[in-house]
Amino acid sequence: MSLGVLLIEDDRELRATLRDALQVEGYRVVASASLADARAVITTSLAQGGLDIVLLDLGLPDGDGDTLLVELRRERGTPVIVISARPGEDQKVRLLDAGADDYLVKPFSLAELLARMRVALRHRGTATRPATVRYERAGLAVDLEARRVHRDAVEVHLTPTEYRLLARLVRQAGQVVTHRHLLLDVWGPEYVGHTHYLRLYMAQLRAKLEAEPADPRVLLTEPGVGYRLAEPGD
Amino acid sequence: MACYVADVDNSLRPTSTTNRRRWLATAVWTTSCALMLGLDGRIDLANMALILVLSAAVAAIWSTPWASLAASATAILAFNFAFVPPRGTFSVDLRQHTLLLVTMLTVSWIVTLLVTRLRWHAAQATAHARRSDQLRLLGEALRAADKPSDQASALQRALSDVGGGHTTLLLRGRRECESTGGEETRLLGAATPDEAAGLRLCLQDGRSMGPATGRHEEQPSWYLPLRGLQGTHGAALVRHASAHSPSGIVLEHAQALCDQLGAALERGAALQAAALARQQAQDHALRNTLLTAISHDHRTPLATILSASSALHDQGERLSVAQRRQLAATIVDEATQLARLTDNTLQLARMGAVGPNLQRDWESVEEMVGTVLRRVRQRDASQRVKARVEPGLPLLRCDAVLMVQLLDNLVDNALKHGGAEKPVEVVARQVPGAVVIAVRDRGPGVPPAQQKLIFETFQRGVGGNTSVGGDRPSRPGAGVGLALCRAIALAHGGELKLRPRSHGGASFEVTLPVEDMPAGSPGEATDGAVP
Repeated sequence: MSLGVLLIEDDRELRATLRDALQVEGYRVVASASLADARAVITTSLAQGGLDIVLLDLGLPDGDGDTLLVELRRERGTPVIVISARPGEDQKVRLLDAGADDYLVKPFSLAELLARMRVALRHRGTATRPATVRYERAGLAVDLEARRVHRDAVEVHLTPTEYRLLARLVRQAGQVVTHRHLLLDVWGPEYVGHTHYLRLYMAQLRAKLEAEPADPRVLLTEPGVGYRLAEPGD
Repeated sequence: MACYVADVDNSLRPTSTTNRRRWLATAVWTTSCALMLGLDGRIDLANMALILVLSAAVAAIWSTPWASLAASATAILAFNFAFVPPRGTFSVDLRQHTLLLVTMLTVSWIVTLLVTRLRWHAAQATAHARRSDQLRLLGEALRAADKPSDQASALQRALSDVGGGHTTLLLRGRRECESTGGEETRLLGAATPDEAAGLRLCLQDGRSMGPATGRHEEQPSWYLPLRGLQGTHGAALVRHASAHSPSGIVLEHAQALCDQLGAALERGAALQAAALARQQAQDHALRNTLLTAISHDHRTPLATILSASSALHDQGERLSVAQRRQLAATIVDEATQLARLTDNTLQLARMGAVGPNLQRDWESVEEMVGTVLRRVRQRDASQRVKARVEPGLPLLRCDAVLMVQLLDNLVDNALKHGGAEKPVEVVARQVPGAVVIAVRDRGPGVPPAQQKLIFETFQRGVGGNTSVGGDRPSRPGAGVGLALCRAIALAHGGELKLRPRSHGGASFEVTLPVEDMPAGSPGEATDGAVP
């Protein structure tokens, strides 16, 4: 059975284009143009085949995406990808902090959208099933069960904080993790404003794990938002 | 002389001081009385008279003039009665005794009047000093306050000091408006309808009214205009606490205080008008910039997209698969270019219109450069861009989104104009107090004539469409891009400079100031096990 996508986008052309493109990729797409409409779809979709992922555009005619995200998060763990029109939007970070899975800035390419959706779907249900425990890319191998990190088959020694930071990113490999989430999970709630801690530890991690720290292939930065571990693979 | 006496009477208003002075004068008289009774018979009459004259002079220092005159007259009569023979009567035996008594009285009165005069002058000097002090303090307060309402309350305080009652001001202005014949004014403080009407009349005429002003002298309070060089900017209602009205000197003083506010308001209005004019000129320039951006630079990619997409739409079946793919690729490329151009134009507009709204945080140069390289790699697979970031650079307090946009534009510019197949370098290093990030190419460089103009919004290489060293004929968007880069650098307190390279090529160098890091080093988080 094909995967169900709820596309919430108020621009008619973009909605139609994305719907067609996603259908070509084999998704079952329900498109809606407003929050009210989307809510109706969410309640009825419980009966028919279910809903696997939500693409949520910001700035809808009948309100903020926040409320819908909160409702979705309260009821089930359906992945949500936020689509925003401007870079550096506060709302984007707020939604990520509130539990959205990832974000895209308009204009974006279809390839980008599909890649983000694949990652989000792979992480679906991380609350119940074990999260990603092994990560491999560009010569870097992380095994969370064995608590070991290798680069080009050589074991790398990390400090406890470095390891916890890396492990936090591995658990959401391919997805952006906001500064706030990282500081909260690695250092604790009283350090949420201390972005400079993150900068220094990420620099240490890049120095240990990247071939070229100034041109990273694995530990990627999302300016103003957070960090993203590149999707596992080659 | 009567005038001196009356004025000194006024100036001795505080009752506790008056009482103390009265007691002192009484004490002097009592002492001298006792002394004379004690010395009676041991010294002669002329010497006794000297004691009396001395005490009259000393008592005059503390008592009021009238009291002093009366006291010395009474004392001399008593002296006559008690000591001058025949004792016990007011009659005088000898002519020389009459002369003595008359001389005593005259000398005491002259001394009293001299002392009074001195005190009057001292009081005048003190009042004068207080007034100039008040003027100076008001001047300082007006300079320190930048809002007209703060300046007005400074004047209100000063005038209340002068008049003794509370003061009401009427200013020209917009807020809290009450319309009066088309002109907007605002009232600061309470006023009856009559008083408000008086204030408005005073504001209109620009002349003072009330006691000692020559106009409407029947009014109990002063209505003083706040005068500037170019007109009246408001009016003040000064109420008097005491029943009798102060003199003309005080009126002049109050008017001088009012005029200070008038001048300050005028200065403020002039500054505001100048700022507004500057803002309007900037807005105008910005609007022109944006219009030019849209009309020149956005049209080219739009035209390409339109022709490629209409070809796909209309001739789709007649085109080969390869042709269709090529057209689609063109649309993707040009749309990407248009997106960048739109980002730059919008950002420039936003920074110009509302001022830079920076989301500053502690950012790592290495990360920002890394982000730019990743973005460039997604657009340009040639791997021509290399980065060298000095290890151990300090974190910068900046807006990462804008800084990445700046570097991305510089790299994009270098890739486009730095000559095909030539390497592009991003080099970051520390200098005293700052970090310099340079984007260097090995292209034809920028002609000297263009070097100053290149950061102006609509400069693209040489002229409009002529070519530079066989490069592409036009550089769509380079102008907006570099202008934005400079705006971002300036907003961060840094600068962007172009430096020609010795072996050919251009180096765009952005210098950003280094700030002190927050205290508290990031120690190892606790309770983590070593892997």
